[in-house]
Amino acid sequence: MLLGIDVGGTHTDAVAVDESGILASCKVRTNHDNLLDSIEAALKGILAQVDRSQVAQLNLSTTLSTNAIVQNRIDDVGVIISSGPGIDPENFIPCKDFHSLSGSIDHRGTEIAPLDPAELSRAVKACRAAGLKSFAAVTKFSTRNPAHERQIKAALGQGAGGGADFVTLGNEITGRLNFPRRLATAYFNSAVWRTYNRFADAVAQCMTDLGLDVRVNILKADGGTMTLARSRSMPVQSIFSGPAASVMGIIALTRIHYDSVILDIGGTTTDIAIFAEGAPLVEHEGIEIGSHLTLVRALKVRSIGIGGDSAISLTQGVVRVGPNRLGPSAADGGDRPTLTDALNVAGASLYGDIARSRRVLTQFARPHGLDPEDLAAQAIKAAAAKIQAETRDFLAEINEKPVYTIHELLENRRIVPRKVYIMGGPAEAMKMPVFREFQLSTEVPPDFAVANAVGAALTRPTSDVELFADTEKGVVLIPKLKYEGKVGKGYDLEAATAEAKERLLTALYSQGVSMDAANVLVKEASSFNMVSGNRLAGKNIRVRCQVKPGVAFTLREA
Amino acid sequence: MHSARKLGVIFFPAYDWAISPTHPEREERLLYTQDQLQEEGLYDIEGVREYKPDVATREDVERTHFCFPDVDSVSTRSHHISAGGAIRAARLVLEGERDRAFALVRPPGHHAMKVVHGSRGFCNINIEAVMVEWVRENYGRKRIAIVDTDCHHGDGTQDIYWNDPDVLFISLHQDGRTLYPGTGFPLECGGPTARGRTINIPLPPRTSDEGFLMVLDQVIAPILADFKPDLIVNSAGQDNHYSDPITDMNFSAQGYALLTERLNPHVAVLEGGYAIQGALPYVNLGIALALAGVDYSRVREPDFDPARLAQDPKVTDYIKKLCDQIPRIYFDPPTENQDGEVRGEWFVRSKDIYYDTDNINEEQTEMLHLCGQCRGLLRVETKSTANPLSLGLEIPVGACARCQDLGFRQADEAQLKGGFRYVQLIDRVGKQYLRFGF
Ligand SMILES: [Zn+2]
Ligand SMILES: [Zn+2]
Repeated sequence: MLLGIDVGGTHTDAVAVDESGILASCKVRTNHDNLLDSIEAALKGILAQVDRSQVAQLNLSTTLSTNAIVQNRIDDVGVIISSGPGIDPENFIPCKDFHSLSGSIDHRGTEIAPLDPAELSRAVKACRAAGLKSFAAVTKFSTRNPAHERQIKAALGQGAGGGADFVTLGNEITGRLNFPRRLATAYFNSAVWRTYNRFADAVAQCMTDLGLDVRVNILKADGGTMTLARSRSMPVQSIFSGPAASVMGIIALTRIHYDSVILDIGGTTTDIAIFAEGAPLVEHEGIEIGSHLTLVRALKVRSIGIGGDSAISLTQGVVRVGPNRLGPSAADGGDRPTLTDALNVAGASLYGDIARSRRVLTQFARPHGLDPEDLAAQAIKAAAAKIQAETRDFLAEINEKPVYTIHELLENRRIVPRKVYIMGGPAEAMKMPVFREFQLSTEVPPDFAVANAVGAALTRPTSDVELFADTEKGVVLIPKLKYEGKVGKGYDLEAATAEAKERLLTALYSQGVSMDAANVLVKEASSFNMVSGNRLAGKNIRVRCQVKPGVAFTLREA
Repeated sequence: MHSARKLGVIFFPAYDWAISPTHPEREERLLYTQDQLQEEGLYDIEGVREYKPDVATREDVERTHFCFPDVDSVSTRSHHISAGGAIRAARLVLEGERDRAFALVRPPGHHAMKVVHGSRGFCNINIEAVMVEWVRENYGRKRIAIVDTDCHHGDGTQDIYWNDPDVLFISLHQDGRTLYPGTGFPLECGGPTARGRTINIPLPPRTSDEGFLMVLDQVIAPILADFKPDLIVNSAGQDNHYSDPITDMNFSAQGYALLTERLNPHVAVLEGGYAIQGALPYVNLGIALALAGVDYSRVREPDFDPARLAQDPKVTDYIKKLCDQIPRIYFDPPTENQDGEVRGEWFVRSKDIYYDTDNINEEQTEMLHLCGQCRGLLRVETKSTANPLSLGLEIPVGACARCQDLGFRQADEAQLKGGFRYVQLIDRVGKQYLRFGF
């Protein structure tokens, strides 16, 4: 039996599933001041319904890192970089404690100039004087030669006596090239590290208190999971995992063949995801956090400020829904009418205190000379129209660029949706209004209200590695696995591909994950002859492997 | 991060195409450039975007070249994508989607002449010319300037535009007495109807940034200001670099970026450049940033040493003299015929062309009809060690009815009388490209 918990903006959903289906579910309000409270309550709600000895695993999707950044509950980070020649790194300063050192490594990983020891020790001293304990060390082409990043980490020292509590090394995030993104990703990782680890401690304690001795995985935005242990050093990967939980949920619940639009209508937002040929689209390089582009892989999702709790407003005769939430819906005891209240008044839903929905909506409508039914109808139409307009805009943006699904790049492919799937609390109630706007077959999958938690429960681990080998230098690197080896002249693309796959699987195995080798995709494999003078000097080999996202099993009806 | 100008980059490294495994023109050539651009996050700069190349069609090539025996025999798909990359660059700018575009493509093209029997100087089809002719076909007659900053004389581009007064071709290169292809002297300045529209600036070996920029400011800038082109194309070869293995110049990444900034071309197209590890990643980055209007002051080669590259005063003096003399070629071109003679209504010149890459010898007679009304019909009789005597006829852009008629008559005649194995007719007025004898 697998447990899944999705901590959302409004609700925290939990389910227990096995191959026979959903065994239990539970929904509680999210307490933003103490996410662990919500998790504990949801977990207790589930455990009251099932035999806890049957539980094999808990997967958790949490907004903790996202919220920490949005609410600025993050550590000050000492960012120490070295960029060598190229674009001025002053363009990429993420925070005030930023130190740029001379020194450089080139595209082949050759040290061109060493780090300046005097500059390095000055930077370390300045960071210590500022009382910093969390750091990021990022150097250009560190994925080809991590020596300078490691040197910075060594200079920072560890633990007590002014040393670092934690240092994110750029090369350990991913082997992909992109210095500014690596810098931003390392910064955010260190910024949320402390908050996240306190939370991870609390989750572990909670599990012990509940007598659950099972593996805990954390959802990532790319539609996969990582172990709780791994997440402690890469908390940034847990960011924006909520939409991924919903998308993986719909994959578990429904068979999607066509280009489709997936709408997850929550309390405060609607997440729009796009499927091409049945597979979700991904952000090619990584998501934007704050105004910084990162290397955090994610499914491609647009969030807009329309949800069940979005306030209805009326200015100059135009009815709008959202983007603000001005307290709970009247149906939940609030004083401002919301989309949920409008759906209640229109007879589309029967949620909470329906009489209160009507009363509050009537009070709001009357000064404008409107019937509550009129206002409700206009609000629902406005919400659906806004969702449709944003979806159209999102698709236009996607169709301008090469399209990547979780499986592959789709060359010259335009996405033309033929179906809309809706999930989330108001899904059933919004089905017809959405259908009217989109004029496309619109479906609400079974168990739509807990699709997100189902997705969380069933999401499989993902991981990826980049291997880089230079047979002239006789080295092979897999930065993310901190692996460096020696290779002979005979080392070739085939050997490199096999090694990348094997080391990826072994690394997962050492984290307690046994992964079917068939789930490992080779995303890139290339070998170039390097020539020096007139002779072949060696091969420059690059291999990129990725565990493809997926679910442990599906709950689709036969 | 924002760029001042919207830049489109078309990157096509032709990772499956090489002349031979250890040839300078091999798969590895743009590998480190790609790494550098990715590591810099170039495409994350707001205003800079990567685009896929178009693929030049057979018609795009036939509009530009006489290919014998045919297009497919002398070029591969990689050549068509490389030329298509250049077309895409021009299209981005002309459609207004981008302010500037950089076609970072290979294989190169500037040694490919009007007639193509094979590969010379690593070039099969002239990618800038295919682009320029695509532009004129789709956007009408335009004044276009091609400034070739490759270290080798752009003899192919020169040949194609020799008789075309609408295309100003300026090549600065290492002096032909010291480097392949051995041409590109100031008195090579265009045919009788386009004299002064070919400008050659042969620079002495070990010319540094100082010399290149002096030529740009004192020769190229005033000529461009007078010519007033609708479109400026830069054949951005990078083998002037001080570390290039097959040339002998002292140009740097900073120099290339400065030159790009001051020349400010609409479209830059990569040509040569074979210091693939130590120069290309930095030069290409410098050019891209300069085109986009982004600060490039920290773009430097790992071994950059300005003192070592300082220009010899003798070199400076020599270039100063060139700067005094060369503008006259444009503003007051010589009237005497340098390379051919008038026979009746025709201007005739004979050429022997060697295709070094494919080891082909060609003998050619080029005849330009001195029409007086228009640019005049072009007739090229050619035979080579690869092909028997063949004929190319071009009714040029803006040709008069008489020249158009003459072109068709000569094509008919050539077929009736025989003697030519292949006949190709380019009709730019009727937009048709006909081939006979296949
Ligand atoms: Zn060249
Ligand atoms: Zn004429």
